[in-house]
Amino acid sequence: MTFHMNRRSFLAAGTAALIVPSILRAQESEITIGSLTPNTGGGAPFGPNITASHKRVVDAVNAAGGILGRQVRLYQENSETNPETAVRAADKLINVNGVCAIVGTFSSSVTLGVMPKCQAANVVQMCTSSSSDIPVSDEKGLVFNFQPLSPIWGRAIGELVKARGLESFGLMALNNDFTRSMMDGFIEVVGQEALVNEPFYYNAQQSSYRSEVTQLIEKNPQAVFVPSYITDFTAVYKELYRQGYEGTVITTSLSTGQQFKDAIGDAADGIVHGFPVPAINSPAYKEYLKEAGLEETNSVQHPFGTAGRDQLTTLLLAIEKAGSTAGSDIAKAVWEVTTGEGKTTVYNLAEGLAALREGKEINYSGASGSIEFDEEGMVLGRDFQLSEIRDGEDVVIERLEY
Amino acid sequence: MSAYLVSMATYAGFFMILALALNLQWGLTGMVNFGIAGFYALGAYTSGLLSAKAGWPLGLSIPMAIAAGFAAGGLVALLSMRLREDFLAIVTLGVGEVIRLIVLNEDQITEGPRGLRIEAQPFQSLVEPENYPLFYLCFVAVFVAITYWICERIRKAPMGRTLRAIREDDVVAGVLGKNVFRHRVQIFAIGGGFMGLAGALYAHYTQNISPEVFMPTVAMFIWMSVIVGGAGNNRGLLIGAGTVIMFLEGTRFIGDILPWLDAEIMSSVRIITIGLLLIVTLRLRPRGLLPEPKFSYTKR
Repeated sequence: MTFHMNRRSFLAAGTAALIVPSILRAQESEITIGSLTPNTGGGAPFGPNITASHKRVVDAVNAAGGILGRQVRLYQENSETNPETAVRAADKLINVNGVCAIVGTFSSSVTLGVMPKCQAANVVQMCTSSSSDIPVSDEKGLVFNFQPLSPIWGRAIGELVKARGLESFGLMALNNDFTRSMMDGFIEVVGQEALVNEPFYYNAQQSSYRSEVTQLIEKNPQAVFVPSYITDFTAVYKELYRQGYEGTVITTSLSTGQQFKDAIGDAADGIVHGFPVPAINSPAYKEYLKEAGLEETNSVQHPFGTAGRDQLTTLLLAIEKAGSTAGSDIAKAVWEVTTGEGKTTVYNLAEGLAALREGKEINYSGASGSIEFDEEGMVLGRDFQLSEIRDGEDVVIERLEY
Repeated sequence: MSAYLVSMATYAGFFMILALALNLQWGLTGMVNFGIAGFYALGAYTSGLLSAKAGWPLGLSIPMAIAAGFAAGGLVALLSMRLREDFLAIVTLGVGEVIRLIVLNEDQITEGPRGLRIEAQPFQSLVEPENYPLFYLCFVAVFVAITYWICERIRKAPMGRTLRAIREDDVVAGVLGKNVFRHRVQIFAIGGGFMGLAGALYAHYTQNISPEVFMPTVAMFIWMSVIVGGAGNNRGLLIGAGTVIMFLEGTRFIGDILPWLDAEIMSSVRIITIGLLLIVTLRLRPRGLLPEPKFSYTKR
């Protein structure tokens, strides 16, 4: 085969030759960070919020001169909420972009899927996942979770609904790790004797939930608790409505977003839903709303966006504190800038950097919560809120504050 | 960069084995298999569970994965012996989903949605950790070569002629005294065995598998590989699998070149680009990059 170079292929090759070194060159002086968020797939309602938060923090720090005198470059990849794709994306972030941390993973299977690669490459992970396997698999102590593990959700929702005087429950959950562990936490609080049925799991993307719902409400419990995601809960709730269930329906606020309310309309009134919420009285949360251009309302807003802001702020503060981009140094510094008493409390990156540069010890308190980690890197204490849908709006009925 | 290329080449290796297997079933024999992800999962979980939970050495668990894929392939072909084309497609799609749902729901065995962590990797203790990815690439390459060699032997052998005859018109092949049914079952089983092998290699590579990995999209990628590479041509498939990985992964760099693009838009742009690249490829090479050579009686 002869190779003939004409004008077009010459131009194409020339362009490629110009672009490739710019990709490689970019790594030398910049601090590179990978953002791996669910922009499509099951996590798509939440990913873009996280992504936008990450970008805002990086843009702000670069405008203010960067970290350790270096600019910060954020590489954003889409995990497609699928561990198979996410592993390859993580591979690119680690081996091509040379990132020191991968932040923003959302579903547990993605966080766990990319973990072997991150551990091998000494890369810090920051996630909002809920599987209790995460601390177990994290052998090198490089993983920080910005969301309470799901048994804690279950216990909190259990406490709140018990306080409302509900006594008998029917239980079923979507079959994934997040919802299953939540159900376990819920049962722990309300007690086995309060259950009228044997709790069971259903699969996502079924065309009908008729038999599952029939089984759930067979013994006519006062309330049913259905930990789920928005797509399957919409179908489950329609079926509950069709079968004329009159008790209280309890779920997570993840399942009852605007998309759900649009699909269900008036029939959504009376649903009770719970969720770990941002610390709405914290100055960091108010700053977040301003940064994101959001109005202050009383309902649950972009909980994962606040976590995204806190992930990147914590990471950059830790890099500044550690004076290094090596994963294990950063991980050690994450505790130093977030956890512990008697330090200067800071609410954003600029304050934190200024305090660090004055030689002060700091404790970052974030928009999603106060950001304190236990020894396994799991976030401690997030406010928890129970709301009821009334006239298509979320009305806060109970709140647990930490 | 080189570490990244090594791991993408490893992924291409998994795709190549799957594509070669699909080519045996569909490219050569005309049996549609949309359940690739199921056989892939079966191999991954067989070897993963045997090594992680039962403590079997990989020298036994990987062959068991091949055996499981082989048996499942043979069984599906037996059960659907009277089905062809679109009906077989539906059955195989169903089988793939059934396997995934079993893995998802039988969590006492498979860990279900939590995902299975697999520590064991082949020849782990003999290779330095920093050289391991390259070693694993070579390990996979050996299996690709073996699979390729077997597939080529089948294609060139008299059996290959029979298979092509079945693909073109099974009634004629039957009338000529060929045992159509036996050939179909054999080929489906062999293809299933290769898919099981690919699954096992994948499981020990990523060391963490969960049911979400084995969604039907995996099957679509393999179909793309076969169609882009050129159905019926084993060499074309190797190129096809490489090309699909290149499309899937190369498009990630759009974001690095255009950093001002919003990440959310970028995700969609990337997926659109993959689709466009596939359409353009097929528009320019409708029979694939390397089409199946026309069979000739005069040429040896």
